[in-house]
Amino acid sequence: MACTKKVILVTGGTGLVGQGIKSAAEQNPQPNEEFIFLSSKDADLTSREATKSIFEKHRPTHVIHLAAKVGGLYGNMRANLQFFRINMSINDNVLSVSQEYGVKKVVSCLSTCIFPDKTSYPIDETMIHNGAPHTSNYGYSYAKRMIDVLNKGYNQQHGTNYTAVVPTNVFGPHDNFNLEEGHVMPGLIHKVYKCKENNTPLTVWGTGSARRQFIYSLDLGRLFLWVLREYQETEPIILSVGEEDEISIKTAAELVAKGFDYEGEFVYDTTRSDGQYKKTASNSKLRKYLPEFKFTPIDEAIRATCQWFSEHYKEARV
Amino acid sequence: MENGYQEKVILVTGGSGLVGNGIKYAVENGEQRKGEKWIYATSKDGDLTDLESTRAMFAMFQPTHVIHLAAKVGGLFGNLKANLEFLRKNIIINDNVLRTAHENNVQHVVSCLSTCIFPDKTTYPINETMVHNGPPHDSNYGYSYAKRMIDIMNRGYNQEHGRNYTSVIPTNVFGPEDNFNLEEGHVLPGLIHKVYQAKKEGKPLTVWGTGKPLRQFIYSRDLGRLIVWVLREYKETEPIILSVGEEDETSIKEAAEKVAEAMDFKNGLIFDTTKSDGQYKKTADNAKLRRYLPDFKFTPIGEALKETCDWFVANYETARK
Repeated sequence: MACTKKVILVTGGTGLVGQGIKSAAEQNPQPNEEFIFLSSKDADLTSREATKSIFEKHRPTHVIHLAAKVGGLYGNMRANLQFFRINMSINDNVLSVSQEYGVKKVVSCLSTCIFPDKTSYPIDETMIHNGAPHTSNYGYSYAKRMIDVLNKGYNQQHGTNYTAVVPTNVFGPHDNFNLEEGHVMPGLIHKVYKCKENNTPLTVWGTGSARRQFIYSLDLGRLFLWVLREYQETEPIILSVGEEDEISIKTAAELVAKGFDYEGEFVYDTTRSDGQYKKTASNSKLRKYLPEFKFTPIDEAIRATCQWFSEHYKEARV
Repeated sequence: MENGYQEKVILVTGGSGLVGNGIKYAVENGEQRKGEKWIYATSKDGDLTDLESTRAMFAMFQPTHVIHLAAKVGGLFGNLKANLEFLRKNIIINDNVLRTAHENNVQHVVSCLSTCIFPDKTTYPINETMVHNGPPHDSNYGYSYAKRMIDIMNRGYNQEHGRNYTSVIPTNVFGPEDNFNLEEGHVLPGLIHKVYQAKKEGKPLTVWGTGKPLRQFIYSRDLGRLIVWVLREYKETEPIILSVGEEDETSIKEAAEKVAEAMDFKNGLIFDTTKSDGQYKKTADNAKLRRYLPDFKFTPIGEALKETCDWFVANYETARK
């Protein structure tokens, strides 16, 4: 019912995706929706008591669950047990407390990195459990997969509408731009910023030919709101641009350079691995629901993110 | 630190069930070694869904080793209705036991998985490397995923803390102290109970299906001996299937005939072919076990069934049914 007040609790609300949802909600507000963006300062979600307290305080009707213990490749590799146990604990607390407080809709956030390591492409929503994930982050991956299994259990037993989304590579303001831990796009942004400052050439790892689907956090935010408001399935939904909008790392680097008006030289360090050439995720389910959805053109999105980074360098996570 | 003279305390969670009793029998009939103290814990000793209760249990018993059998289990229909509970309760039990074992510096934990957790869509024979290769059968996905996560945690504890936490995968276990309930129990205890009743009522035994499907059955007392071996000798993190080989698969018809023979049942067998057979074969590969123990002798199934039937008849009043 359009007039019923919705209180939407967003766990992990201060991160890249949370802030994308915040911007999207501010751009397209609905009068009956109140958003509360939580951070770890508000509650330790590994504690059931703390989780209950925060639910007690806010009495949400809906939850967008983004909070997780995350880390880069090396962080994961060293500590798969911790990534597994902490995330299992957070997810079980959020879902079980949601059910206890009568929350009918929880949208959690998975990731394309949890898919089976050995798989055919493009990957789609039905393939998540079809084999073991990559060994480097199996702890994180299995914990995320268990969200999907829990969603199914809650919906079968309690008639709730708990579901999840699967974004591809997200980028945007408020990302983690740390060169060791961050992902490829924020890494390029941070590097170009520094190269411009120091007037040095940009070193891109690999040949630059690997291709990826990137989704701007603001677009992801808009899609999250649509999922929250309209999507009724238990099975997850991939949120991504289509295969036709995959770009190479070389193109991404060029767009980042344009975003900073950087005109320095590019050097490709081909001793570094490219990683996988393509990891295409199918967005046909999204397109069946929203054939007209327009993603922000990537050059615009990258430019806006570069601008944000320049303006907020001091507070950015570097 | 293990040497023959230092006391080992082996805590068996879920110690009063079918498998726990199989271990107990094995220990009390030849497997016990000097300096070993075996404790068979039950739910009366602590609530493993509660961390503090689990910790109290470990503080009380001070185990150096753990065989972890405790779980929320149920038949087909129990699972169908409550996958969420089966998932959450078992995840909590398993996490509590492993973390408390780790906190107490227990180096070796052997947990118990099941062939029912393997991928539903799979090739046969199934082997230990295939556990996570696809979703389990939909009817008990909650139980299955919780059990699979034991293997994930074993890997994590091994990588991060050097622990030797591992697991075994038995095929169809049977024996004394089983659950002989016709609704909830498995096929062999079900046949035993049905023959008992049919004998009393002077009726023939009706077996569901054609009787043709083949299954690998493992006697709980053989399983007990093997689990004790795993506890002492098996160093891998990856699970190990504990089962008779493919050559010893038994058809349901043959199993029914052996039970009838064991119980001196003479009213005849009827096969109700309107009922589903289930899968014809679900062969699990015991090659890994055979590499380690080429000479291990399983109790012949006729003998094992006779012992089980005798136990059931002698303990009918108190048996779980």
